Amino acid sequence: MFWRLLWKLLRGSSGRLVVAILALVSGAMVISALLNLEFDIERKLTQEFRMLGANLVISPGHDAQINGAAPAALMNESEAFAAIQSLKDPAVVAAAPFLYIVERAGDTPVVVAGTKLEELPELEPAWRIEGQWTTPSRENQIPCIVGRNVVRQLHLALGSTLLLSYLGKTTQATLVGIVDAGGAEDNQVFMGLAEVQRLAGLPGQIGLAQLSVRGTAKNISEYAARLAAALPSYEVRPIRQVTEAEGDLLNRIRLLIGSMVVLILALTALCVLATMAALAMERRQDVGLMKALGGSIARIVALFMAEVGVLGAAGGFVGAILGIELSRWMGQRVFGTAISLRWEIFPLTIALMVAVALAGALPLRLLGKVKPAVIFRGE
Amino acid sequence: MFGRLVRESFVRNPRRKVLVAAALVVGMAVATSTLTIALEVGDRLAREFRSLGANLLVTPQADTLPIEIGGVDYRPVNEGAYLSETDLGKLKTIFWRHNILGFTPFLDVPATIQQSENSDPILAMIVGTWYAQDVSVPDGTKFKTGLSVTHPWWKVQGRWFHDDANECVIGSALAATMPGVTAGKVIYVTSRSPGDSAQGQPGATQAIALKVVGIVSTDDAEDKALLVPLAIAQKLSGHPGQFRQLFVSALTKPADTFSERDPLKMTPTEYDRWFCSPYISSISFQIKTVLPGTDVRTIRRVADTEGRILSRVGTLLWIVTLAALGAAALAVAATSATTVLERRAEIGVMKALGATNSLIAGIFLAEQLLLAVAGGAIGFVVGAALARSLGASVFGTPASPRLILFPVILGIAAIVAFVGSLIPLRRASHFNPAPILRGE
Repeated sequence: MFWRLLWKLLRGSSGRLVVAILALVSGAMVISALLNLEFDIERKLTQEFRMLGANLVISPGHDAQINGAAPAALMNESEAFAAIQSLKDPAVVAAAPFLYIVERAGDTPVVVAGTKLEELPELEPAWRIEGQWTTPSRENQIPCIVGRNVVRQLHLALGSTLLLSYLGKTTQATLVGIVDAGGAEDNQVFMGLAEVQRLAGLPGQIGLAQLSVRGTAKNISEYAARLAAALPSYEVRPIRQVTEAEGDLLNRIRLLIGSMVVLILALTALCVLATMAALAMERRQDVGLMKALGGSIARIVALFMAEVGVLGAAGGFVGAILGIELSRWMGQRVFGTAISLRWEIFPLTIALMVAVALAGALPLRLLGKVKPAVIFRGE
Repeated sequence: MFGRLVRESFVRNPRRKVLVAAALVVGMAVATSTLTIALEVGDRLAREFRSLGANLLVTPQADTLPIEIGGVDYRPVNEGAYLSETDLGKLKTIFWRHNILGFTPFLDVPATIQQSENSDPILAMIVGTWYAQDVSVPDGTKFKTGLSVTHPWWKVQGRWFHDDANECVIGSALAATMPGVTAGKVIYVTSRSPGDSAQGQPGATQAIALKVVGIVSTDDAEDKALLVPLAIAQKLSGHPGQFRQLFVSALTKPADTFSERDPLKMTPTEYDRWFCSPYISSISFQIKTVLPGTDVRTIRRVADTEGRILSRVGTLLWIVTLAALGAAALAVAATSATTVLERRAEIGVMKALGATNSLIAGIFLAEQLLLAVAGGAIGFVVGAALARSLGASVFGTPASPRLILFPVILGIAAIVAFVGSLIPLRRASHFNPAPILRGE
């Protein structure tokens, strides 16, 4: 009986219901799209911040000798990278060892950094490169990437050969890429670590390692702490310029988007509430009739609540699907990659919609006090 | 007659108007605040991004290759080119002078440090710079700039040096190797050239006594150096009034395809547009014009990150603003629709008395318009207050209300209220008065 009545009610007033369903669906759509966006924005933004390059540095401890151009204390390459490997954190975007020596190109001293060339594009996505990051290694060819000031100073061009010497040892490297970084890197030459280690006579040794780690400032310092525990003899520190500014900016952006989302959520909820309240008020006649036929108020109210609840759930469900599609589109539009789907959006949106719809139907309870005759007279 | 009908409708049943008016007020308040924030956020966030530090680097053009590792230049003092300090005021005369938030010159000098006149010398780099120096601008004003603006993340324990005093700030790593050096201690520095023996013989210049006033931690190569006022580093190196590198922090607009184009290949109108936009490329071009013989480079990592995130957050906020406008429209439309439905009996009576559909529509729309103006105006005030507090909580300073938005919001409110009642009015025109009056 209850269900039949409910069905009749839903079918009977199709015209008026359209407005309410439209409000519910579009409300749920906006809410679920914004919630999805809000949940994902931190991950998206931390990814964007990786443009800043390395944010974690492993270096030999503070007791390093402080001396002019001479290389300071060194660390063991395999030891440092074994520790990074063993932690296996997916947040690590890139990790590269660095060994700096000052070599001579003809008469000009130039800083040569031995590193893993293939890690550089991930580590420093902001660098502009002319040519290539790496080339498939050919026989007897040592590729190098050269900063643009070095190129200008030494009159080099892509493909030319760079003759470098260090304490009597020499090497011939082929220039495969010219880097524009806008920093000290413009004055440096980057080549394979092994070759620099050979020249310097320091096999297996590196000066420092740089890591690019994704996450909030808290995540990064936690990772740094774990890495430091695994590498007690070295110093692991976040680059404060990057992490501090990143954390601060991230908080502000999140707060900004978050507070705007809350405003819109409140507005949408209010709109749905108003529509549902209007819908409920239109049912006065039905209430009067049921009461006149001897229905108990509790039962009548329960019936309407169920009606409104079903509406809310259905509207919420459809709206959530549409909203997730909308947030996908927004993610594509804003970040170039789709926003990952969060399943908790579904129950959250539906629950919110049901709650709002029920709240909208609450005025019906007041009708319990109304005499049926008054309603029938049309007052 | 028409006016009286509209007035009567407001006077007789104000309760019915309250719902629509409330929806208008809330909707327009949210629309106003999101629009205000969206308009302002670019400037605000760009300023926040300056906490990342400088985004432009100025070096001498005819320079030898710097031997620079981890931010410290290890070239001997007599090698390479220098820039002159006296020209720096000109930076505040370029077209976008107000966007130059600060600049800091750097001069690195290899030196020896002694704890007392006769103690063992320690080799270290001395970094000469400004903390908060007054720079004379050619228009007669002063501009205070230095590390305090361009390197805000450098933290000092104790205090920073005064730019005109014989004081210094010691890097934390260097301080760790020199036990006994604390704030208040006097140390002696002498310049050295790399030809000197590792022991660091007293150089050509006389030792300068400096008072340590703080320990700085930069998480960079400067931790291993001694930071001194620029004038002292110039005295040590024998290059008075000169420096090697200048870091500039400028407020910029995110780069786009237009800003990346070669200014020499632009048409005059395009060139003017480019010159008069605060793109990082046009600001660096303008700096180059006032500081001839320099090379102005964009610090890619900072500039690109800033540009990308700014443009993304900007787009995001416009989408959220659109969503807010949509939600506001929805709220107003839904409530107007309900009012028309609620007043079916009234419409029935009017129709029965011979009112035409257009008259009924006219009365309703006039009411909606009145409500839209009132609701929009109140909503604008509420929204401006909301944006103020939102700006204060997010950026620390309140967002100033934009009066230009007032007519925009009124227009949006009118359109939304108008469109919202069109559909139900169309339905009302099909009403048959008889069943309505029967109460069906």
